Amino acid sequence: MTRKRRPFTFSASVALVAQHAPRAAIAALFVLPLIFVLSASLRAPNQAPARTIEWIPDPISWSNYVRVFDFAPFGTYIGNSFLVVLIGVPLTAVVASWAGFAMAQMGSTARRNLLVFSVMLLMVPITALWLTRFVIFRYLGLVDTIGALVAPAIMGTSPLFILLYYWTFRRVPSEVFAAARLDGAGNLQIWAIVAMPLAWPTTVAVSVLSFALLWSDFISPLIYLKSEQNYTLPVGVQLLQQMDSTNWPFLMVGAALMTIPIIVMFFFIQRFFWLDSRG
Amino acid sequence: MSGASRSRAAPLRAGDKHRYGLWLMLTPFLVGTVVLVAVPAVLTFALAFTEYDALSPPTWRGVQNFFDIFHERVFQIALQNSAIFVALAVPLRVLGALSLALLLQHRRRGYGVYRVAVFLPTVVPDIAYALIWLWIFNPVFGPLNIVLGALGVPQIAWLVDPDTALYAIVIMSLFQIGEGFILLLAALRSIPPDYYAAGSLDGAGRWQLFRHVTLPLLAPWLVLLTVRDIIVTAQNTFTAPYLMTGGGPYYATLFMPLLIYEEAFDRFRFGLGSAMMIVMFLSIGLLLYLVFVTMRGWGYEDDA
Repeated sequence: MTRKRRPFTFSASVALVAQHAPRAAIAALFVLPLIFVLSASLRAPNQAPARTIEWIPDPISWSNYVRVFDFAPFGTYIGNSFLVVLIGVPLTAVVASWAGFAMAQMGSTARRNLLVFSVMLLMVPITALWLTRFVIFRYLGLVDTIGALVAPAIMGTSPLFILLYYWTFRRVPSEVFAAARLDGAGNLQIWAIVAMPLAWPTTVAVSVLSFALLWSDFISPLIYLKSEQNYTLPVGVQLLQQMDSTNWPFLMVGAALMTIPIIVMFFFIQRFFWLDSRG
Repeated sequence: MSGASRSRAAPLRAGDKHRYGLWLMLTPFLVGTVVLVAVPAVLTFALAFTEYDALSPPTWRGVQNFFDIFHERVFQIALQNSAIFVALAVPLRVLGALSLALLLQHRRRGYGVYRVAVFLPTVVPDIAYALIWLWIFNPVFGPLNIVLGALGVPQIAWLVDPDTALYAIVIMSLFQIGEGFILLLAALRSIPPDYYAAGSLDGAGRWQLFRHVTLPLLAPWLVLLTVRDIIVTAQNTFTAPYLMTGGGPYYATLFMPLLIYEEAFDRFRFGLGSAMMIVMFLSIGLLLYLVFVTMRGWGYEDDA
């Protein structure tokens, strides 16, 4: 998108400031909490708390990010969290894309019913399932295993992901799949060779979103895990707070360790959300 | 759209093998949904009429559980807190998302950065988000009270004061509105520019354009967002109070999800917990019905 450059005049720059100042202030307000975390996480732990807003701590204590690993087994927590994500994200992408692909290929009645079913599933309150999922997981022997945390991936983690794939595959002209079928390809082959390469932006979006869901999940490990060696990062951070709720630098390091991977992921896909933002 | 005719042809052309194959690809999703959603939902309903400690087999109690919970003071408080929270947070969140979308809807240089910034708090994990706000709300060292102090405004004890703790939780919920923001941004984009051009030609001002073009066309989206936000907000009051206040001070931030968690996993009363769950979801259902009745007919009828 090209736009004409207006001649730079005084009134134009006043208008520009009037346009941007309130918006920039609001944007700053939303970023501020994250800046507070970073700054608080870099304060020396033995330093008396500041009584004014401190943007950059003096001295900057980068060692907090190392020493927190001596304080609690954060290496184990992070390893477990990555294990959950490494199993859960690919599983989510496969299950959701299979379901979305199949839905898109089905006759109109089955398709409409499945569509209504998925939208209704979106509305099911997840809290309603806590207690009885625990009962079922215990029956299946999943309590106190990583399996309990990965389990939602078996159903595609969120019905939203099935819908995303469904919409993607509906937009593919049916001739594309029909041609592959005439060449003798089965459903799985068409899915792997034709459908998935076409849907890679959706796969990126679904992967990042399911990463965020599985990585951030605090309630599942809290309810289904017992032994500390299985803990994931969210319960680990909460444990840190239980051990010493006044050690703010370490607590903020915990918060930052949890948040940074998500923000990196988010920047990775933001262009899918802001297609028109460069202009 | 040609979708209907296209899809009617597909299963005729394809053989049975093809159709079974498709159902096979749906199997993980459908089986997962049965095991993880359908069975737990039915079980919750059944357990609500029993006494069950997750160790010995459940014993039948009938509707006695429901009488019992309504006589429990903490249950009344939690139900009331959750109702106040939803009543405050949902309208503010929807209004916030709408204002942000209106403010940042145009394709201008730099606006993309603002949009990303506004969305950022939404992706912060719950536990990290709770810790961050625990720091911000810290009565002595927290950035918020330092700013209030510098402005000469009386400082507030926030989470420590039973009168303000609930409002503090409402305030922190107002920064995680990225989903609604994106939804309304997309909805605003879908309004044809001709509508505004036609309105301007008729001499409508900016407010009139908003009132008579934007708002009615957004109405279905606002209803959808409100419905979703009621469901989400009512449930999302677990992690923050669990980590920040433990439901206190004096039960000021004890919400339904936290009480249900404690009932089941601290006191091993799964039956009572399930009964509370059912009351909570009946209340949400009632609220959604009221929203539907009130908001019906806000938009242009022929657009529904």
